Amino acid sequence: MADTPQVPEVNAPSRPQPHEKYPWPAEPTLVGKRIQRVDGPIKVTGQAKYSYDINRPGGLHGRILRSPHPHARIVAIDLSAASKAPGVKAVMAVLQPGAKVMFQGEEVAALAAATEEQADDALRLIKVQYEVLPHIATEALALREGAPQVFKDGNIKAGDTEEAGDLEAGFKAAAHTVLAGYATQVQTHVSLETHGCVCEWDGDKLTSWVSTQAVHGTREQFAKALDIPQANVRVITEYMGGGFGSKFGPDAQGIICAKLAKQAGAAVKLLLDRKDEHLASGNRPSSASKIKAGVSADGMLTAFDAETWGTGGAGAGSGFPLPYIYVFPNRRRKHRDIFTNAGPQRAMRAPGHPQGCFHTEMLMDELADKLRMDPLAFRIKNLPPEAPNAMWRKYFPIAAERFGWSKRHVTGDPTPGPIKRGMGCAANRWGGGGQGTKAHCEINPDGSVVMRCGTQDLGVGTKTIVAIITAETLGIPMELVRAEIGDSNYPFSGGSGGSTTAPGVSPAIRVTSGMALDALKAKVAPGLGVDAATLVASNGRIHVKGDPSKGLAWRDACKQLGMEPLAVDGQWERGLSASGTSGVQFAEVEVDIETGVSKVTRVTCVQDCGLIVDQLTAESQCIGGIIGGVNYALFEDRILDRVTGHMVNPNMEWYRIAGPSDIPTIDITLMNQPERGVIGIGEPPTISTAAAVANAVANAIGARIRSIPITPEKVITALAEREKTGGTL
Amino acid sequence: MALHDDALNVSRRAFLKTVSASSVAAGVIGVGESEAQTGPAPIGPGEVSVQLSIDGQARTLKVEPRVTLLDAMRERLNLTAQKRVCDRGSCGACTVLVDGKSAYACSILAIQMQGKSIRTVASLAQGTVLHPVQQAFCDHDGLMCGFCTPGFVMSAVALLESNPSPTPAQARAALDGNICRCGTYPRVLEAVLNTKGVRRG
Repeated sequence: MADTPQVPEVNAPSRPQPHEKYPWPAEPTLVGKRIQRVDGPIKVTGQAKYSYDINRPGGLHGRILRSPHPHARIVAIDLSAASKAPGVKAVMAVLQPGAKVMFQGEEVAALAAATEEQADDALRLIKVQYEVLPHIATEALALREGAPQVFKDGNIKAGDTEEAGDLEAGFKAAAHTVLAGYATQVQTHVSLETHGCVCEWDGDKLTSWVSTQAVHGTREQFAKALDIPQANVRVITEYMGGGFGSKFGPDAQGIICAKLAKQAGAAVKLLLDRKDEHLASGNRPSSASKIKAGVSADGMLTAFDAETWGTGGAGAGSGFPLPYIYVFPNRRRKHRDIFTNAGPQRAMRAPGHPQGCFHTEMLMDELADKLRMDPLAFRIKNLPPEAPNAMWRKYFPIAAERFGWSKRHVTGDPTPGPIKRGMGCAANRWGGGGQGTKAHCEINPDGSVVMRCGTQDLGVGTKTIVAIITAETLGIPMELVRAEIGDSNYPFSGGSGGSTTAPGVSPAIRVTSGMALDALKAKVAPGLGVDAATLVASNGRIHVKGDPSKGLAWRDACKQLGMEPLAVDGQWERGLSASGTSGVQFAEVEVDIETGVSKVTRVTCVQDCGLIVDQLTAESQCIGGIIGGVNYALFEDRILDRVTGHMVNPNMEWYRIAGPSDIPTIDITLMNQPERGVIGIGEPPTISTAAAVANAVANAIGARIRSIPITPEKVITALAEREKTGGTL
Repeated sequence: MALHDDALNVSRRAFLKTVSASSVAAGVIGVGESEAQTGPAPIGPGEVSVQLSIDGQARTLKVEPRVTLLDAMRERLNLTAQKRVCDRGSCGACTVLVDGKSAYACSILAIQMQGKSIRTVASLAQGTVLHPVQQAFCDHDGLMCGFCTPGFVMSAVALLESNPSPTPAQARAALDGNICRCGTYPRVLEAVLNTKGVRRG
């Protein structure tokens, strides 16, 4: 076995000691049920105000002039004509002469005007003189002999070599080897609400409505960039239209917006347009590999030797975990970051994992084919031992049964006609622990309750779980609870990334509402003539445990507060959350071998996330993750023109995203693990869909397409290639 | 290729079905067949007065002729229910009903909408009682971040007012002009197929 564990989280303590004072209830009334999201009505009626919807009195519209060149030096910027244009109230250069732009869409200058049309017109009057420099549009061009070295330290940054075991011995022990290469594309986040904000100054105090995954982090970054105290900054994100990992700060446009607002002495609204969003607000880096792997005659993995590379754009990294999940006792992996003149990468839902999963799971199918072994049986043989955070040995058979894996043909659908069906599978893992959240709870004399927490809801249901846990703990209906989040004036919570929000926030809400209930119990216990420790809250009453008649209705209990609301502050504590998820997915596809069009028809998902707080919204997270994976497998691709370095599809029709007719039937089985406490569910379900789909396509057509997206062109080419060589897989 | 005046006032999606892509640009600029023959009176480029009927309320505003219905609603009238996402007629987040038919508000000009009845998602609920489509979206969790939701709800209302009992294939086709990034489609579809009590429009 390996000297260093390949999956460090596996077998780590993944089941906490339960919290002493406020453990999760054994028989919850709300937690784990199918609870509708609390902000459903305000969203379906169009009343929810997103940052994009904030219009301030006298507010201006900001616009950013961006570089049309992927690599250039600024020679001169002339703002004079723009500053005199109708409606213009503020103009600024973002870059100074001598500075370099490193990608198409980098910020060069900006202005604010009374209307959007005036801002657009004035932007065209800004004159920028560029010295155009040679650029690198693709990984292949960066690696070419004699390629221009456009980055300070060259176009390539070699990473450390990861090694374990004895590679030579591993290959000696192999009965079969596979030599193959795989690749994944650059994908952009395409949050429907673009990046941006509305900034308004009151003297030296800034209020900003930002579309962000981190109200507190954004406050900190505003303060730093503008050189003002954090105390002077308030960031509000009551509702946001998606982030997927790309929205963790004010970004360039936020700082520009604040500066324009200061200069103009008026509020400025600056949300990116769709093109700029594709160019400059992050992406999932590409990945590519050359892998040699060995397997013994009895189907045990023996060796893995991989060279990998990818591009995160201008100066940013492209790492990803490899091999993924399965145990290769002897292995070596070298990774290189390739720099290109493209917008830098940012975290995107389960950063690195869909890539690592794709390369590994494609390889697993190819190794199984060499052995003529069922790919599922082969996978199970090579999984790490079962643990609470490593449940694939259990989940694979459950999912296979639900999916109907036994009906899979060996390879290449033998059915006559142009439509070929196939099946594939893949596994996923994620950490998803969290902490560091504070909360404030007020119980009012009229029985209403406010729970405040400076987290934010990206659309995943955070506000809903805050309300669920508060109501559960206080034994009251959710209608009495007002969950207030999305404001940096509320108690601190971290950014919503890495599936850390639910495990960070849930314990804080449980502890804080538990403390509030204790305080209320202490108030009412003397009147009841009992010890406060004997009291519990359930069904809208505070009463002696086991005797609901000996107690008070919730509202009557709260009346005893008199004039003064009860207020407590609490925070995240150990024992209510954990880290480490596992899941598996199976996909069925139909491929039309005449047109090359692939369609995903069914996906089966078995997934855990510790204690499920809301069954309904947790399922929606899985459905959404899977659809993201279908997009990654078949549709999305950020395409840069090799010659100009321009993105050719910076929109929402040629940058393809699945619509209602492209969606498979999706079967979700959530495995509840109440004893582990809460773990995040955002990332895991999107990781393995693309790999399962790609394996299913290979199973359908008997030819393997080793890169995504699986376009009709690749299908037709693969089939022609198979025809030429006369074989199947 | 000739365009009828009517084509200018329905959704981009609807006239994409009947005209070639090269005609679309002309359509958006707004040269109708009859006008092309007689020569249209020039409008603009400065602000012009426009009367709109939005959610049953008469609104008068001054906008440049190039301002879209969506921008007029969102940025001039502070009616922000419908969202700006792609701003070029491919995602449906701005979907409104124009005289009962769904249309992309980002791809029609405000000045084209005079004399038309425009409905947004803000008109559907009666006080706190949600419209059956809105209620079904909540019941089936047919929304996540909610940014696409107003558009989906309006597409669903347009469908159900003309066909109260659609098949799954009809529902998918009616919603195909809308894009969701969170991946709520299966539950949006469930919601639409389980909506009861929408009256024919």
